[in-house]
Amino acid sequence: MKRLLIVFLALTVTSVFAYGVDKHINLGDRATELKNEGKSRGIHPSLSEIRKMHPEFLLHKRDKTVHQGIRTRRNSLKECVDCHSTTKNDEYVPINAPEQFCSTCHQKVGTSLDCFSCHRTTPKEDL
Amino acid sequence: MNIRYQQIKGRSLGFYALIAGLGIFILATLGSVYFIEHHGHYVTGMSNRFVWGMPHVFALFLIISASGALNVASIASVFQKKLYKPLSRLSGLVSLALLMGGLMVLVLDLGRPDRLIVAMTEYNFKSIFAWNIILYNGFFVVVAVYLWMMFERRLNKFTFKAGLIAFTWRLILTTGTGSIFGFLVARQAYDAVIMAPMFIIMSFAFGLAFFILILMASYKWSERPLGDAIVNRLGNLLGVFVAAVMYFVAVKHLGSMYLAENAGIENFILFGEHIYTPLFWYAQIILGGLIPMALIYHPALRGNRSTLGLASLLVLIGGVVQLYVIIIGGQAYPMEMFPGKEILEGYGDIAAYSPSLAEIVLGIGGVAVALIAVTFLVKFLPFLPESLADEISDPHYKTK
Amino acid sequence: MSKKLNRRDFIKSTTAVTAGVATISSGITLTTFAAEDSPVTNEKRWGMLIDTNKLTESNIDDMVNVCQEENGWGSETHSTGAQKPDWIKKVKVRDKTTGKIDMLPMMCQHCEQPPCVDVCPTNASMKREDGVVLVDKHLCIGCRYCMMACPYGSRSFVHEDLSNQKEHMPRGKGTVESCTLCVHRVDKGGIPACAEAVSSDGVIFGDLYDANSKINQTLKKIQSTQIRADLNLNTGIRYSGI
Ligand code: HEC
Ligand code: HEC
Ligand code: HEC
Repeated sequence: MKRLLIVFLALTVTSVFAYGVDKHINLGDRATELKNEGKSRGIHPSLSEIRKMHPEFLLHKRDKTVHQGIRTRRNSLKECVDCHSTTKNDEYVPINAPEQFCSTCHQKVGTSLDCFSCHRTTPKEDL
Repeated sequence: MNIRYQQIKGRSLGFYALIAGLGIFILATLGSVYFIEHHGHYVTGMSNRFVWGMPHVFALFLIISASGALNVASIASVFQKKLYKPLSRLSGLVSLALLMGGLMVLVLDLGRPDRLIVAMTEYNFKSIFAWNIILYNGFFVVVAVYLWMMFERRLNKFTFKAGLIAFTWRLILTTGTGSIFGFLVARQAYDAVIMAPMFIIMSFAFGLAFFILILMASYKWSERPLGDAIVNRLGNLLGVFVAAVMYFVAVKHLGSMYLAENAGIENFILFGEHIYTPLFWYAQIILGGLIPMALIYHPALRGNRSTLGLASLLVLIGGVVQLYVIIIGGQAYPMEMFPGKEILEGYGDIAAYSPSLAEIVLGIGGVAVALIAVTFLVKFLPFLPESLADEISDPHYKTK
Repeated sequence: MSKKLNRRDFIKSTTAVTAGVATISSGITLTTFAAEDSPVTNEKRWGMLIDTNKLTESNIDDMVNVCQEENGWGSETHSTGAQKPDWIKKVKVRDKTTGKIDMLPMMCQHCEQPPCVDVCPTNASMKREDGVVLVDKHLCIGCRYCMMACPYGSRSFVHEDLSNQKEHMPRGKGTVESCTLCVHRVDKGGIPACAEAVSSDGVIFGDLYDANSKINQTLKKIQSTQIRADLNLNTGIRYSGI
């Protein structure tokens, strides 16, 4: 039920603005690279889907990992951070910092995530 | 005779001063909540050994008082005592206000108060805590309905039934609150069946003490007549409840001492060298028990409102201390992890707790919130009878 | 209602299909061990046997240190000693009668009947099918009732804001945490960091149910105890030598 609610919210919010997404959204270093190499097709089956459904994917994955010990990489929050992070002066910028990947859209729709009070905001330990 | 209820005027300087005073205190409370939540609990005296601190002392104190404050209404509608009938509305109000204050403190002391929604949607039905959340929420509804039955003349005929439900509900509620401790099997200080009934009796005493103070203050400040019939009866009742609390405390400690495994914690509380021993004997037993009883029952002081007020205040202070000794003292004493062995290192010393100002302010803030709610509501809704003079409340009462 | 469900199912199945394609066509390889993508079951029960006779004091210190290193706790800057997390600690006890001194590492005992799970109002304290007791920190509201209930004082509360956590071990202010038996390693076929840190047989990790496992066989041979066995919690961590 709660999931449905989230899906519903995500759909309603995104359907309004998804079409107006900033073309220059900061994808992060690796994601940009992959995109430029034309390898991005397979990662997210469809852009509109990941835009709308990523909260649901993440929560689903979260429960699977914590309760069932399923540790595949698909939809893992670690992986999002790994791929969508930006570096600046040889250091990673936290992915939830303003204008970074996990915050640009959310700023626009006025959502704030608490995920990164626990989850690491940059890939792996050290660069 | 018919009883007429009337809002208080609430335009006097005193009224505004009271609101302002409480308001400032509540602002201070919000400040300390922000302080604690912003920095994290490291700014409090709490730790991994003192898991629950001062906020819990006040929160539980207010929650059990809330249940007891409903007593007066219950006596009127369930036990059909006419004398208490005019007091029923106020009784329901005080009860709701105290519960609100207590819950506020409890919630604001959570590590993640922002996740309150989780607490309302995810229930573990094995957890007595989850049941308490349901019981507290239900109590609001039940008492609100009960008040509504009392306010609506057409619905007056249902007050008996509503009162009965409210009465049962709150007995269960206090049992639930007491059981929070009863379920802690590994903590010697709490592992006693008597905790639940003791909490019920404590709730009677503390709730009534709150009620008496609020009743006398509101009649005095709104300059309405309040006869001796009611005040003396309430005073006597308070004396009985205080005596009952002392009896339960005695039984609990004697019973616990009898069990060899609990001798350590009993010695620690009753005859130890830490703060808890003087708190227990001087503050809880003497100040919060014996002195109030003397003030209530001493023939020379009978019917004296100031001493009854003082007695009620002392009962409340004693109550806070009692919960402090139970909650904090119970945690200070280490759990018996290796029976037959002495722990030299790593765990097992008697821990010291020093509450920070922010915690204390948050705790007392709960009381302030409860009081401000009562103050506002008696101004906007007719909770208080215009007069509680003897000839109205009890025509047969004989003045000495 | 049913419409929505259909929609979801549809999305899920398309995801599944395209996911398969994605694995092959994209540059990323989704290396998956069989153990990683199937749910844990109750056919296993993870446990640990700690033989205090075989552990030196420095072994125990090592266990504590690698746990800190592995899971990233202990370097909190504001918390006082008693406020700092303590996932595993060194405890020294003396027998009141004989005066014998023992030292042992103490952590979450991974009970079969965990009191913390019983009391948790939001189901945040949980036991996995394979017996590992965890906090689902996504549900934890920080009420700390589990810490009151734990007979071993094994849980800690995070008293301050954290940053630079370990990638595999998210931790944050206002929630309760404790030893996870390093599930992030165990699920991938590894063993807990503390068990790995001891080269002798002082710590044996394994599946208590598996008759062929070293832990099962050792437990059959030697005498072992559970801490506070009188509480009948049937702990997954066993001790011998005390
Ligand atoms: C209070 C701390 C905390 C917060 C806040 C938190 N998580 Fe987690 N999360 C954890 C822990 C602990 C794990 C378990 C890690 C493990 O076992 O490997 C985890 C695991 C996960 C996983 C599976 C592991 C992975 O990296 O894929 C996902 C997905 C996840 N969390 C998503 C979220 C999302 C989305 C949010 C925000 C809505 C969030 N979490 C907020 C603590 C937290
Ligand atoms: C292997 C690298 C990789 C991983 C892992 C990854 N992404 Fe992406 N993501 C991409 C690329 C590349 C794009 C751009 C696709 C395009 O524009 O065609 C993208 C696009 C997106 C977009 C759409 C942005 C837009 O343009 O509107 C969202 C939302 C998104 N990803 C979320 C996530 C989330 C959430 C996760 C973790 C569950 C994740 N991604 C994991 C590579 C990745
Ligand atoms: C293309 C824009 C976009 C990007 C990029 C994006 N999100 Fe979102 N996200 C949204 C929208 C829109 C919502 C829906 C907000 C709502 O439901 O209120 C949302 C909601 C969420 C939620 C649920 C929040 C809640 O409170 O229910 C989570 C969790 C989340 N996003 C995680 C992420 C993570 C992690 C990243 C970075 C990997 C990310 N998002 C990147 C647009 C985006």
